[in-house]
Amino acid sequence: MMLASLDESLVAEAQAGSPQAFSRLVDRHQQAVRAFLRRACGGDWALADDLAQETFLTAWTRIGRLQTGASVRAWLCGIGYNKHLTARRSAGRDRAREALYEAERPVGSSASNEDRMALEAAMADLPAEQRACVALCLAADFSHAEASEALGLPLGTVKSHISRGRARLLQALELSDDAS
Amino acid sequence: MTQADDRLKALFAGDEPPARDPAFSMAVMEKVMRRRFQEDLAILCGVSLAGGAVLWPLWPVLQPALVTLSEGFAPALGAAALAACALVMLGGRARTALGLS
Repeated sequence: MMLASLDESLVAEAQAGSPQAFSRLVDRHQQAVRAFLRRACGGDWALADDLAQETFLTAWTRIGRLQTGASVRAWLCGIGYNKHLTARRSAGRDRAREALYEAERPVGSSASNEDRMALEAAMADLPAEQRACVALCLAADFSHAEASEALGLPLGTVKSHISRGRARLLQALELSDDAS
Repeated sequence: MTQADDRLKALFAGDEPPARDPAFSMAVMEKVMRRRFQEDLAILCGVSLAGGAVLWPLWPVLQPALVTLSEGFAPALGAAALAACALVMLGGRARTALGLS
């Protein structure tokens, strides 16, 4: 609750033209936006970080339109999702940079590399909408309503995307609901 | 939440960027400030062009009046211009610079 009210006061200051307040919003939400875009982009971290920067730049120009009390995180992810869809439509992105970035990616210590690669491959195979729903609700603890608002999809569609996406991921990772 | 969901969440956590990333935030703010500068520049250019367009037809009328006025008010206008320059250079800290606060 306090975090939401801090967001509200920062948004109000940013709407009044304060770059310092906007910078604090970037600090507070960069992790969520970048994580979402990394998953939505199917593991293309370089593209995801580029899109995250563009997302915040667009957010700065549109901050005046953000309603009081609206979820900043959902709003930012919504902008990011639209950027992602636009990027997917435009062909010819530079892939050399991606290869370099992939080579520099840190390796997680908690999960085995094989499982992570399987998850990444399974995510990349999901349709874009389904992947975005899974990225928000299963990975980032968004509520279904919040994801629906962020992605501009009906609530029922979000629920069915999550259900199907989750089933496909579990299948790819050879996990079942009662797995230990 | 089932154990499978916990497992998925743990795997997803491997993609998580750091909670604080000053380099990313700085890159974003650099772009924001550049955009802001471009917008300010565009506005200033627009205002200058509009002002020029308005003054162009009025100049034959304004010029004689300005010449007459400047003879009487030149010293005062010069002092006001200097004060304005000083205020701009001090960045609004005139009261502090003059020891008034």
